[in-house]
Formats: sequence, structure tokens, C-alpha cells
Amino acid sequence: MIKLNNRDYECQDGITVEELMKLNNFTYARIIVYLNGEVVLPENYASTTIHHGDDVKAIHLMAGG
Amino acid sequence: MKRLAKKEELCTGCGECEKVCSQAFFKENDREKSCIQVNEEKIKVCNQCGECIAVCPIEAIYRDKNGVVRINKKICTSCFMCVGFCPELAMMMHGDMLEPFKCIACGQCAKACPTQAIFISEEV
Amino acid sequence: MNMEKINLARKLIKEYHYDLKAIDKGYTGRTLYVNVGSHDIKEKSVTQLIKDKFIGGKGFGLYYLWQAVTESTRWNDPENEIVISSGPVGGITQYPGSGKSLVVTLSPLTDMPMDSNAGGYFGPYLKFSGFDALELQGKADKDVIIFINGVKGTISIEEVPNEDIDTHIFGEQLTELYADNEEDKRNIAVISTGTAARHTNIGLLNFTFYDVRRKGTRLKQAGRGGIGTVFRDKHIKAVVIKVAGVKGNENHPVDKLTLNKIGIKMHKEIHDLDNSQNRMRQIGTANIIEVMDQYDLLPTHNYKFGAHKDTYKISSRVFTAKVTQNSPDGCWFGCSLACAKAADHFELKTGPYKGEKVSIDGPEYENAAGLGSNLGIFDPDAILELNFYCDTYGLDTISFATMTAFVMECYENGILNKERTGGLELTFGNIEAAFELIHQMSRGEGFGKIVGMGIRKMKEYFVKEYGADPKFLSDIGMEQKGLEFSEYLPKESLAQQGGYGLTNKGPQHDEAWLIFMDMVNNQIPTFEDKAEALHYYPMFRTWFGLVGFCKLPWNDIAPANNKFTDEPAKIPEHVQNYVDVYNAVTGMSIDKHELIRQSERVYNFQRLFNIRMGYGKRIHDKIPYRAMGPVTMEEYESRQERYDRQLVEHLGYDPANKTTEEKMKVLREYRLDQYEKLTDAVYKRRGWTMDGVPTAEKLQELGMDLPELLEVVKKHV
Repeated sequence: MIKLNNRDYECQDGITVEELMKLNNFTYARIIVYLNGEVVLPENYASTTIHHGDDVKAIHLMAGG
Repeated sequence: MKRLAKKEELCTGCGECEKVCSQAFFKENDREKSCIQVNEEKIKVCNQCGECIAVCPIEAIYRDKNGVVRINKKICTSCFMCVGFCPELAMMMHGDMLEPFKCIACGQCAKACPTQAIFISEEV
Repeated sequence: MNMEKINLARKLIKEYHYDLKAIDKGYTGRTLYVNVGSHDIKEKSVTQLIKDKFIGGKGFGLYYLWQAVTESTRWNDPENEIVISSGPVGGITQYPGSGKSLVVTLSPLTDMPMDSNAGGYFGPYLKFSGFDALELQGKADKDVIIFINGVKGTISIEEVPNEDIDTHIFGEQLTELYADNEEDKRNIAVISTGTAARHTNIGLLNFTFYDVRRKGTRLKQAGRGGIGTVFRDKHIKAVVIKVAGVKGNENHPVDKLTLNKIGIKMHKEIHDLDNSQNRMRQIGTANIIEVMDQYDLLPTHNYKFGAHKDTYKISSRVFTAKVTQNSPDGCWFGCSLACAKAADHFELKTGPYKGEKVSIDGPEYENAAGLGSNLGIFDPDAILELNFYCDTYGLDTISFATMTAFVMECYENGILNKERTGGLELTFGNIEAAFELIHQMSRGEGFGKIVGMGIRKMKEYFVKEYGADPKFLSDIGMEQKGLEFSEYLPKESLAQQGGYGLTNKGPQHDEAWLIFMDMVNNQIPTFEDKAEALHYYPMFRTWFGLVGFCKLPWNDIAPANNKFTDEPAKIPEHVQNYVDVYNAVTGMSIDKHELIRQSERVYNFQRLFNIRMGYGKRIHDKIPYRAMGPVTMEEYESRQERYDRQLVEHLGYDPANKTTEEKMKVLREYRLDQYEKLTDAVYKRRGWTMDGVPTAEKLQELGMDLPELLEVVKKHV
């Protein structure tokens, strides 16, 4: 269990950021990912793993037209 | 296509080109008003690629018969999009001038360059 | 009617001379008043108080409109005004998105002040001609054109034949007529509307500008709230402005170098990053069509659903292929974000211009969603053509789309039938029926006339004439305060329900767009968090309309290091850019907090203006349930897993063995209650009573305790 955007979220231990984004269908081009408060850069999504108890935020920067 | 070409490995950073250029265009010695600028032997100058021509919303930038990219100051609205979009960062802005300015490959600086690091080229 | 005929028939009925003068720090210090009924033309000076409290743009519009009308003035009274103003920063060319015009009038849809913004050259040219704002009052007997000649310093009222002309023709004719030559066309700006403005309440104002690179006229619209309907009702055919030219220092800013530097920084940011961010230069706001679908937010079949299996047929990639790509298009000089798209050489398949090849502006996201998925239309060419006809006929695409979606749902529910629609089979996805409806609006015929009244009046009509169930209609009719909703599905975001409902002019997302922040990011979980967002964002975004800025370059592009800032959603660097640009033009020294207070003054003024007109209170801030949750079984069951889960999580209610009706009832009570709680929190944060009235203390704190406002407060608290 992790926190994803301040909600409880069940996922496998060791899942990568990239996989998590895919599972959630987070397709928007401008998303800032924080892992335990630290920004994860897009080039590190595939290599960054998430573990139980982690706090992940995927902040979509969109504010309409 | 006429343009000012460069061989940066020959540049000594003496700054003669900047002096000549700002004198030629603005009658003063101020490197901020030079169309060519040298920083640590890196020479920043227009290569006449013409990307700014497509960027200008009012067609104030055009290529003349020698292939040199020029600005029509009469219709330029000073938006400076061409400055922000120049891949060479060679479109210049100075607070004293309303419009942007750039190298027109006049060759004055090339004549003054002691090491031939810059020279007029007609090659494409 | 051709140009020669107009030219020959033109009759000068009034000419007024004025002194040309330079702009000082973004202001001319003077406004222009034209009464088309009495032919009275006046110059008014702008006092320091007006500048301090109202800034410009929408602030000026609301100020002058307040002076012009009384509590009992209606939209079609001669006293009603159309006020147009850009703002102190409007007309600079260095920063992207600095040419907006704000238009204010009493709306035929809402009976309150409406504000709508448009791009194009008109607002800046008005200022370059010597005026910070233009007030149009009165009602002419015969159609008139007002010509402001900023080269010579003359204003003329010219009588022209009473005949409606569509904008794509008329705008071009007037540009030709008033320009000295081809070179001069860029110096002409025109506002006008089209044939449907006379027959509907959703007429818009078209801003025609000359696109130098396309060598043709283009259109931008002040779309919302029926401003074009007021314009035609005044028998104004067009207002034309001519200037001598545009240079980068027309505003005489105090610090041009700072403007240059900040502008270049933004141009470079857009050059470097737009391709990997929102692709605004490539496709404009339509970039989000498929994103909205993927997050179940794309309004589909009158906002029943948020996605559709056929959305791929109208995705941004499809439109990218249709839009001419050789030159990213801005609508004001120096806009490098360049979102104004056009499809050239488009052959029309229907209507009076069938077979002609035209340039179609857009599509904006709103048009693609509204004219597309919300009507069940997944044909990109049909969307483009509907978009074209909306523009040229002078119809607000958003209202047209939302009310057509409404009648389609009414049709599918048996409230309407072929007999009642005059033969139109208004089922979702019926492209032919949608076209016939729009052409009827242009001709002022048939069912198009009824739909053109707007959803609010249609609801009354359907109840009275067809015995329709008023509760169902008020659930599914996506209007509030009389204005049709814009094209986002707010069901799953309480904050966005507030972003639509707790607004001044009605449900338009220009005040706040919080769906992702709320629903997806879960960044504002408590009522207080949501209320703070519904304070900050509406105030921040109001400010664009005070000074002459466009919203898009604020957050449709972000600096590379934005992700490392404390509040990335606010784009802190851009906020500072705005503060710096404003100060560099005006010589003021505001900070980001004073920026918010500038907006708060005007925002509260507008709220009290609404209250003065008999609206603007809590009861008017309620929204239709379609915006809040599933109205029908079909909707609930389509997202049953989501709604069932919410019943468990939020209410501890076990959905097992319950009928859909039972579950819908419980969910509905919960959601209605949530909206009330949100309303309480927002009113508190904004310094209003629980009935939604700004308090005297709040006005004092803002330095906005003007006697006429305190009088309204006294009457209503």
C-alpha cells in the first residue's frame, strides 16, 4: 500500500514510476511526480521504484482554457 | 548566400570585431550594441539561417537578393519574438533601440579580425 | 451586398474632431462616449480614482455601465451600453498575449452585467487612437457604422442600408473599404456581428483583424452572453478603427528595457518548451480533447458522460492535420504562444455558402467538445463547419452547443418531437439536424428561433407549451444565471462545481478551472482548501481582464524549473512576470498580493452590480444537478462502480441490494449538501454574508467603500 495523491493505493512493491503512471492512465503531458516530497524527473520514471509506505504525488498541471 | 562564417578555434577573444561593428552601426564603442558578440572565444553571430523570417508575425524580416536576412524597421512592431526564437541567439536587443538588430554580413569585422577567425563566405 | 453598394449608400450623419495625443504609461486618460440614438459624441477624462479602483478593461466596462443604467434597465433599453476596453498593459507587443479587449454589457441571457474577452486588434487600436474605453449607448433608427479614425482624429457616424451581412464577408469588406491600400489593411480593426444575432439571444461580437501572412481577415470573438444581440438591437452594424501603425512603445511604458527582457525570456521559453508541453503553437487549445476524454471529463451527450468510444475521430491529432501549419498564428503582435489556428481552403457542404472555400478559425477546445462530443458528433469536418457558421452568423459556439445538446436530450426523452421541432430529428449525433438548426437561426425561422432564446427561456417554454416536467428540465438544462455552461464535465470535482457556480457572470471557466487540482491531484481536499482556491484563482484570473492580458501564456506553458517551486500550479515565475510587466508599463510598484487586491475590488463591484440588478445572491449560485451528479439511471449505471464506491467511502452506505433509484437519491442528497458546504466556505473566504453579499467591512478593507456600493450592501444585508 502506498499513498498516491493523498489517497491509499494498492500496488506491487517495487513498481516503477513509469508503470504506476501507466496503470493510472496518467497520460497528460505536464505532470510533476514527487516521491516522498522529491521531484522525480521524467527521464528517471523507468528506473525509479516505489515501495510500500511511499508517498507519491502525480500533480497534473492543467488549469483549463 | 552571403554570410559571416567563423572558425572559433582561431578566435583570441580580442573584441576588435565588436568595436568595429558597434562603430559601424551606432557610431559608438559598446559591445552591447554589436551584432557580433564574443564570449570566451565563442562567437555569437547570425548565420543567415532565416528561421526568424517564418517567426515574424508581420513579415518584417526578409531575405535580400544576396541571401542576407534583413529587418524592415518601418513595419517591425518590436515584439522581439525573433530574438527569443533565434537558434543562434544572434538576434540582438538593446534598450536604446526600438527594434531588434542583427548581422547583415557587411564584412567590416572580418577585415578587422587579426586572426581571420571570421570571414565572409558565399557558400551555402 | 457588395462593397461598392455599401460605399455608395453610406451617408455621413455626424462627424466629430478630437485631438490626437500620446499614451502615457499605458493610459490615454480619456474615454470615448458615442450615443447612436442622439448622435451625441463626447470625450470623458479618466480620473485617478477610476484608475486606482478599476484599473482598466473589465473594470472600466463595469464602472461605465454602472453609471449608465438603473436597477430597472433591461438589455434592450437604449440606456444599456456596450463598453469596450483593453487595459493599461493592452497593446504592448513584447509579452505574449497582450492585446485583449474586454466587453461589458447587460446581457439578454442573464439580465446582469456580462463580460467577455476577445483577441484581435480592436482594444489596442482603440487606445492607440486616443481612448482607454469606448462606451456605446442609445439605439439608432437605421443601421450605422461608427468609424474612429486614429490617424486624423475624427469620429464619424455613418448610416448604411439595413441589411444583415455575415462576418466573414463583412469584416473583409470593411477592412478593404477603410484601408488606404494593401499595406494599410493591418491598421484596421473591425467589430461586428452576423445574421443570427438579430434572431437569437446568443449573438456574439466578432473582432476582425487582418492577418498579414495569410493576406486575409481573421476573426476572434467576444462570445459569451449575447453581446452581439445587444449590438444589433442598437442597430450598430460595425465599429471600425484605423491607426497609423504599431510600434513597440505606443504605450509609453516607464521601463521599456524590462518589457523587452521579460518578453524575450517568455519567447525563448515558448520556443524551447511548447513542443514538449501543450503544443499550443501547433494546435492551440484543442490539444486537450483526448486528455479530457481519458480523464472522463469530455462533455458527451449533454454532459451525461465524460468520454466516448469515438473521441479518437476528433482528437487533436486529427485537427492538427486539418489546420494550416506553415505559420503559427497569433491574434495580437508578439504572441509567440500563437494558439489562433485556421484551416484554409475548407469547402463548405451546407448553407448559403455551400461550395465556397473559406478559412475557418479554430477549432478551439470548447468548439470541438461542444459542437462535437456534447452533441454526439464525431465528424471533424462537421465540427469545423458548425464552427464556421457560428462565427460568421455571430453565434456564441459555447451557448449554441450547450443548448443544442439540451434540445437533443429533450428530443430523445419525448419532450420534443418532429411536430414540435418542425421536422428536425434532433437525436444525438444528427449532423444534418444540427446544421438545419443553425441555418434557421441565421434566417430567424422555425425551431431555431425557439432554441435561440437560450436554455433558461426554453425551459419555461417547454413547461408551458408542452407540459414538460420542470424538475427534469432544471436538472438537465446546463445553464446557470441564464448563461449556458462551457464545455467541461464538473461532476466529479466539487471545486469545479464551485468554479462554475460561484461566479459573477455565470458558468464559464474563465474564473477557475480546478478539476485536475481537485479531482485527480487531490491537492485541495478540505472545504477550506477548495475555498482558498476559489478565492485565489478567480481573483488572479480576473486580473488578466483588467490590464489587457490573455490567460493562456500564464499556464499553458511553464518554465523548465517550475516543478521545483513551492506552488507549481500558480506558475510563480509567470506571476512575477505579470507584476513586473505591469509595473514597467505603468510605473506603479505593485506586488503579487496587491495584484489580487486590484482584482478583488472589481470582483466585489461586479458582485454588487449583480445584486443591484436583482441577482447575484446565494439562490442564483445554485447549479443544475447534471453538473453535480447522475440525473438519470443511464448515467448512474454507466459509472456504477465509481458511484457505489463513493457511497461506501463517503457515507458508509452499503449499495448492495439497493435499486439504482435508491442509490441515486442518497448520492444526490450527499452531493447537494457538499455544494452547500462549499458555498458557505467560499462566501466566508471572500468576505461575504452567507447569502452571498459582500460586507461593508470587506469593502472598507479593500478601499472599495464607495457610497453607491455601500447603499446596495445596506439594502441587502
